[in-house]
Amino acid sequence: MTITAIRMLPWALVTLLVLGAGAGPAWAHHRPNNEVLIGGAISMTGQYAEPAGRNVNSIKLWVDDVNARGGLLGHKIVLRLLDDKSDTQTAIKLYEKLITDDKVDLVLCPYSSGITEAVSNVTERYKMPLVAYGASASTIWEKGRRYIFNIVAVAEDFQKGAVHLARQIGVKRIAVIGQDSLFPRQSGKGVKDWAKKLGLEVVLDENYPPKQTDFTALLEKIKAAGAEAIFSNSYFADAAAQLRQMRELNLNFKLFSSTVGPALPNFPEQLGATADYILGFSLWEPLPAVLGYTGMKEFIERYEKRYGEKPNYHAGAAYGALQVTEAAVRKAGGFDSEKLRDAMATIDVQTIFGHYKVDARGMNSHEGITFQILRGQRRVVWPEKWAETKAELPMPEWSKR
Amino acid sequence: MGRHEHARNLALLGALGLALGFLPPMLSVYLRSFALFTMMYVVLALSWNIISGFTGYTSFGHVAFYGIGAYACAILVTDYGWPWLPTLAVGALVAAVAAVALGYPVLRLKGPYFAIAMLGAAEGTRVVATVWDGLTHGGLGISLPSAETSLPTYYAMLALMVVTIAVTYAIGHSRFGVRLNAIREDEVAAEALGIDTTLYKLAAFTLSGVFPAVAGGIQAYKVLYIDPPSVFFVQITIAMALMSMLGGKGTVIGPIVGAVILYTVQELTWVNFPTAHLIAYGLFIVLVARFMPRGLVGFAIDRGWARKGMVH
Amino acid sequence: MERSEVRRLYLLAAFLVCAYALPFVVGAWAGTVRFDERWLANLATVVIAGVMQGGVYAMFAVGLTLIFGVMRIINAAHGEMVMLGAYLTWVCFFYLGVDPLLSIVLTLPVAFLFGLAMQKLLLDAVVGQPELTGLLITFGLGLVMIYTVELVFTTDFRTIPYAPGTVQLTSTIAVGQNRVISFVMALVITAAVYVFLQQSRLGKAVRATAVNAEVAMVCGINVRRVYLLTTGLAVALAAAGGALVSIQFGFNPETGVVYTLQAFAIIILGGRGNYVGALIGGLMLAVLENLVSLMVPNGTAMVELASYGLMIFVLLIRPAGLMGLRED
Repeated sequence: MTITAIRMLPWALVTLLVLGAGAGPAWAHHRPNNEVLIGGAISMTGQYAEPAGRNVNSIKLWVDDVNARGGLLGHKIVLRLLDDKSDTQTAIKLYEKLITDDKVDLVLCPYSSGITEAVSNVTERYKMPLVAYGASASTIWEKGRRYIFNIVAVAEDFQKGAVHLARQIGVKRIAVIGQDSLFPRQSGKGVKDWAKKLGLEVVLDENYPPKQTDFTALLEKIKAAGAEAIFSNSYFADAAAQLRQMRELNLNFKLFSSTVGPALPNFPEQLGATADYILGFSLWEPLPAVLGYTGMKEFIERYEKRYGEKPNYHAGAAYGALQVTEAAVRKAGGFDSEKLRDAMATIDVQTIFGHYKVDARGMNSHEGITFQILRGQRRVVWPEKWAETKAELPMPEWSKR
Repeated sequence: MGRHEHARNLALLGALGLALGFLPPMLSVYLRSFALFTMMYVVLALSWNIISGFTGYTSFGHVAFYGIGAYACAILVTDYGWPWLPTLAVGALVAAVAAVALGYPVLRLKGPYFAIAMLGAAEGTRVVATVWDGLTHGGLGISLPSAETSLPTYYAMLALMVVTIAVTYAIGHSRFGVRLNAIREDEVAAEALGIDTTLYKLAAFTLSGVFPAVAGGIQAYKVLYIDPPSVFFVQITIAMALMSMLGGKGTVIGPIVGAVILYTVQELTWVNFPTAHLIAYGLFIVLVARFMPRGLVGFAIDRGWARKGMVH
Repeated sequence: MERSEVRRLYLLAAFLVCAYALPFVVGAWAGTVRFDERWLANLATVVIAGVMQGGVYAMFAVGLTLIFGVMRIINAAHGEMVMLGAYLTWVCFFYLGVDPLLSIVLTLPVAFLFGLAMQKLLLDAVVGQPELTGLLITFGLGLVMIYTVELVFTTDFRTIPYAPGTVQLTSTIAVGQNRVISFVMALVITAAVYVFLQQSRLGKAVRATAVNAEVAMVCGINVRRVYLLTTGLAVALAAAGGALVSIQFGFNPETGVVYTLQAFAIIILGGRGNYVGALIGGLMLAVLENLVSLMVPNGTAMVELASYGLMIFVLLIRPAGLMGLRED
């Protein structure tokens, strides 16, 4: 047994590898010369599926729009989207495969700062330029990377409006909580920095594991610390749980502000009246009369016609970033990575999402909107130049609603 | 087993190492990655086998050592600017110390209790890595500075695999291995025969923790991004256990065969059935555990295709 | 009991007292603890919430301890049974419009049958084998369950809006309505099963088999049937736990994983196969978790450490836990 087995083993291994190598090229896509392959891993399942799904809607819309106009520099776009399951390691593997095996011409950005941070190591190594729309943590751009650019505002400014509004109503002590991953941590850092600048005291600063569902003790802790307002740096499920439990425990605060969650369409639907009076942040809202970006109105109409709902900021950001990509490809005259990279770094363009012109690190300066959910509707309350209505703060107590 | 047979097996191992060493230029980057991870799982399965196959103490938390190695490498390279190779030695050392510190109390437990305790230890290590963010950056994870090609990690993993196979073979054909088996079969009797079971168990446990730590360090440098949930992932322990079991727990060849087969199957299903591959994987685990608990090698022995020795 | 046994029990008790005191000590040192009326009200709220939560935890731990006790199998898919219960309840609520509590009447039999099938097809072959086989087979089953549910229901978090109001116990202590309801239901169900195990013939057969299966067989007990009953009961209890969880928290296919690990910690604390031990363990763990979260700085992130730490120390001090029999 020993002799036979050990003798056979190296051959077995080599056979397997050769078979695999032979099968390898079959896995890659052969495409006629006139097509260009664009690929990316986007979360179709997992905790990021809701926001990422809206990125995907825009991606598909953009591909069809460009193909209808004759394609990218005359090349028809073929799209290859894979599911990273909201998991970082899966995303890394998928991008390595897309770049080295499928040999995509252009890469798309994944969703979430955490995944983008991990994936950008891969895109840097293989020198694939991309404009990010699903990531906002500035730390990604502070590492000297050359091939990644951003169109959205930094995570640190997401709650800037909310902090300003807190000060306006005289709040002095705040609690900052958040999920323990890249984006919420950076957004939380922003809250603390702004609080310091505006003279608010942070009485509690705590992270929780991403899958946490029971916030009873944490909420009581916040109350015990004497906080008047809560700044939650979260995604969908956790923000929803926090609100429901605040109501169950009859804990009243003057202000509750959260990232991501409230900007998703079914947040007010799922929570009903419990979601009223909270503040949320949006990078962009489908309000052409208020924001007036180039081509917004037509984009909103096309999107609504195709998907039956108005685009939210995830959809807007993806489309805007792809518009930039298209403009960069045209400026570079092709898909050569160095030329494309330089084009993305220097181009100055107006998109449906806003203005794009990046600084030396690759970051855009984009301004977002703080809104409040009032009777199930999102209303812009900050900055003042765009405000639809004055914020109804402090939040009324649960028993009085 | 005579001297000739040992020499021949050693030569075969060397030939395997050389063959795999010449492979990279012929492969695409993707396949090189695949080969690297296959070799990594061979290392992991063999290591797990030392404590759980030979010695009979089923560890359900072995991924802790892997994670320790990964973090040692990542922290030293990113925050302290160390060159990559020495960090592997540090990872191995930390894992060894952890193994002794953890093993001494925990190896006193029997069967299922040891397994659960190890699971708790692995999860506990994950939580510590998440919470102690001064050291580990917590939930943010660590991004390592990029190397130009992936070749150095390939060769490092190859070297590690060869060493692990050699060590396992050595254990399997030595008195040390016989004593470990004695502990597995009947610990009380072994103790009565004068074997210092505590010492032997601890030695086996420590050895079994060192190799995964080095593997973890190499993997961190390859993938360039780690965070607590990915390097302390319970499914990695499951994979180690399943691979050993599939091939044949307690043998030398078993974990190697199991690792190669299982990892290849996993990769093929992942590529071809992205949505359903985990369902297929789960089913596979159920079927193997249900029908082949003694693994392929055990199956072969039962059929008389193989000679039943202590190890193969 | 011999003296070393008694000593171990005292040591365990002492350890538990220290474990509970620790959050207070750390909190006092870090300044999060104040002994005024408001803070004590916060503490009371948190403890009460913990007790309510513990009742539900106990319900799924009890099933796990039964399987471990009777068959020496560690069911790594137990959390997925809970998840199954939650989804079944949701389906009844969303598609059939049935009140979640009433749907338990539908969910329990379905879960029971699932348990029977699981035993017949998978676990019967595994009884008596080394623990790894049981762990792997149930782990595989868990994976299949998670990803099949994901295929059907996607990973979206589901919630069942039920009794969202609050119950004001005093002017400063409140508890969620749905929590109280869950707790009461959990008590009712676990009490019913307890009575069954103590009084009925089948129940006594189960307990006898847990102590020693061979002797039970000699006494004429159909051990195979006992196994079937045990698993069916365990899965049904877990599913009921899932139903109760579904009205309190959001859930998705992967939420079961965390419950499995907590259930492990609970049954270790309570003692293998010991029903009442699991109940006590559940309450103790839930309260400890809440105390840690309330008083330790950055405590919410460390809650898991509490359950694993507790588990490991109990294993090292007295593997049989609080109420388990000394190991054979």
